[in-house]
Amino acid sequence: MTAAALRAPTLLLRAVAYEFRKRIQFRAGFFVREVLNGTVEPLVMLFVYTALYGSAAAAAGEGVGTEPVSLGGWTYPEIIQYVAGLVVVRKLIFHSRALDLATEIFEGRVTKYLVMPFRFFVLHQGRFLQFTLLQLAVAALVWCIGYAAAPAYWLVPVSVAATLQAGVLVLMGSYCCFLIFFILNALAFWLDVVWSLLVMAWFVIGFSGGALVPVSQMPAAFYGVLSLGFPYWMITAPIELLMGRLGTGDFLLGAGLVAGQLVALDLLRRWVWRRGLARYVGAGM
Amino acid sequence: MSVASGTKPSGADGGPVLEARGVRKVFRTFERVPGLRGILKNFVAREHVDIAALDGVDLRVERGESVGLIGANGAGKTTLVKILAGIVPASSGEARLLGRDSFDLRDAEKRRLALVMGQKSQLWWDLPPIDSFRLLKEIYGVSDADFAERLARFASMLEVEDRLKIQLRQLSLGQRMKMEIIGAFLHSPEVVFLDEPTIGLDLISRETIRRFLVGLSEQRAVTFVLTSHDLEDIEETCRRIVVLDQGAVAFDGGLTDLSQRVTGKRAVEVHVHPNARVDEEALVAELSRHGAELAGRSAGSLTVIVSAERLAELVPRLFAMLDVKDLSVERQPLERLIREIYRRGIDAAGGGEG
Repeated sequence: MTAAALRAPTLLLRAVAYEFRKRIQFRAGFFVREVLNGTVEPLVMLFVYTALYGSAAAAAGEGVGTEPVSLGGWTYPEIIQYVAGLVVVRKLIFHSRALDLATEIFEGRVTKYLVMPFRFFVLHQGRFLQFTLLQLAVAALVWCIGYAAAPAYWLVPVSVAATLQAGVLVLMGSYCCFLIFFILNALAFWLDVVWSLLVMAWFVIGFSGGALVPVSQMPAAFYGVLSLGFPYWMITAPIELLMGRLGTGDFLLGAGLVAGQLVALDLLRRWVWRRGLARYVGAGM
Repeated sequence: MSVASGTKPSGADGGPVLEARGVRKVFRTFERVPGLRGILKNFVAREHVDIAALDGVDLRVERGESVGLIGANGAGKTTLVKILAGIVPASSGEARLLGRDSFDLRDAEKRRLALVMGQKSQLWWDLPPIDSFRLLKEIYGVSDADFAERLARFASMLEVEDRLKIQLRQLSLGQRMKMEIIGAFLHSPEVVFLDEPTIGLDLISRETIRRFLVGLSEQRAVTFVLTSHDLEDIEETCRRIVVLDQGAVAFDGGLTDLSQRVTGKRAVEVHVHPNARVDEEALVAELSRHGAELAGRSAGSLTVIVSAERLAELVPRLFAMLDVKDLSVERQPLERLIREIYRRGIDAAGGGEG
């Protein structure tokens, strides 16, 4: 009994180590996929917002950044901090290319796992855990570099508690992303357009979470709807917690909402996987 | 007829290790109509067709049996393995492994099972085999001592001790397959499915793997189900043969039974001068007097099939009738008999059950 109870976490740790070895075996691939990942969109946002606030300031007869021009409740310095927060937060979000389950299903490589006495999902949880541990280190490094380079503009958390709350929300949201991408990958039992669906889902999650525009800067109706979904609590809300725009009450509300969606997604994941297995033909064997 | 070689208890209740009763498997696909109109038609309204890969297969395998599953491409042998191993469900009928529905195996049964796929890697492509083996050790809950002992023994038997730390993708095909086999046996399984385990391998690798399988079968009464197009694999590792043809069992019997039919016949290859005149009518008549038949004919050679007992009386007659340059006698190849089974069914191939 004890041995069996110990086996699951041991296997999870072994899977983490295995995933880590897979990720670091090619140095260029590691740098591009794991380190540069999630840094381009914030740079684009910075460019767009500078132009927008510049236009708004010019219309108001002011210079960029010198006066607090506000768009949708956000000033230019706040938006700069938001973008800085986004660079760090995006590093922690499990991304759509991080699983290769669809390929494994298409090519019949799932077959080997079906005769093994373990939950196949553990290997993917190992991937999630490995991704999170590695990205925590990368995110910390990115924050340090950003702070050293531009301390006046960089986002400095208002408190340790806010940092922990933001971290919890980001990781819970990241696990929701992981579950969604697992489900979409599992659609490979039926479909051959999984890659397109993943790209679409990644964009929708990013947009509805605030990866392009803070959700709280959107029109009130959009904000009302999007603030119910986990993407908002994974991107915009944690950054606002770090900035002190949201407090502990908001964190608790968000954690409850995301936890509910996480459970629902996990149930859906189990259902899709079971249905998919019943259709599996073990191609290529 | 089956050859039950083990005497130890079998499945969960002492029953068979593997059992298929009336197993059918139907795959649904749609017909693709050619041409532009066909493409549009396929897009709007598809016509589905059902293809029966297995059509009522009955099979019972006892503990310690080594069963060779053979058949032409598309005969259904891999589908049957997938169903028995619990990878895909049967459309109808019943498949049981170790006393339990194959498609509803618990970890307890899976721990006693292994699958080796010649065309699909069981191990992790990006890792050295030793890392994959350690992961398998955790998955199967193998103790440290057993793991170390088995790994050392199997690596030595398969002669790959110095390749364990090299990334799998950098190993040769033969070395990879040996690693696959080590990985499959680390948890000491009782039932092993091997699907084309020697495909594409050189002679030496094939022989090493066969020796390994035979050795384990003799030591531990492991139950093997082996599918292969290489009949030497089957001959050297299995005592029972199941021939599948168009999704049904065409022959199920002991290898000794089949071998008697094979070894009871001889193929006589007679080389004659290319320009020599052969009175074929007289030759066929003479052959039939000795219970022989003319199986093949080219410009410079004839192939005659005759029973071993009547070989001695036939050969002098061949020398008397033909301008013989050379003559060789060989056992009738198993391939030939199997081909006959595919072509005409077992009755025509020499009578028997099925």
